[in-house]
Amino acid sequence: MSDERHTRQLVGSLLVAALIVAGAILIVTLQFGSTSTAEQEAREERLEQRLDAEEERREEQQDRREDGGER
Amino acid sequence: MEDFVESLTRGNPTEVKVLLASVALSLGCYQLAVIAVAYGKVRLGFLDAAPASTAHRAVGDTIALLLLCTGVMCLSVYGFEGAHAVFGTALLVMLAIKVSVVRRDFGLGRFLPALGISVFLLLCATWATSAGAFLT
Repeated sequence: MSDERHTRQLVGSLLVAALIVAGAILIVTLQFGSTSTAEQEAREERLEQRLDAEEERREEQQDRREDGGER
Repeated sequence: MEDFVESLTRGNPTEVKVLLASVALSLGCYQLAVIAVAYGKVRLGFLDAAPASTAHRAVGDTIALLLLCTGVMCLSVYGFEGAHAVFGTALLVMLAIKVSVVRRDFGLGRFLPALGISVFLLLCATWATSAGAFLT
């Protein structure tokens, strides 16, 4: 077998290995979900805003109930 | 050491460990295919036995490095605990034996296929008891 053929096949085999590594990283990273700090912070902020809004609504309802009871 | 690993992985040692182990496992599957060609069990028109054997050695060195890094991270952050640690230790010991036989032979060359399959099975077991459980 010629040296050139050997080298070509070897490089091809290593390229396939590199593609497998890239694929594995892609699949596992997708499984983890986003690791972007900005995105995580935005998600936490949205959650906080939703909790605040729920809390306000609850307080308003309680106030209305109390007002209705006083009348 | 734990602080070093935490800072190196930016506080995500588990995720990095899972990623490294998953890459090692996927390359391990590729190794099975390549060594089958190198031993002549599978014949492919586009890949001869000699380059397949060289590629197997190169990819194997990469896997060994990945496993060593993963093992050090695992021990420094989580310590030695449970079946995962037992499989991981057995894997590194078996890998060390295989590499020694590849480099020095010791008259044990005929056991290389069995050693290789044992390394692969131990890698599967180690991955399944940690990364597999984490990902599913």
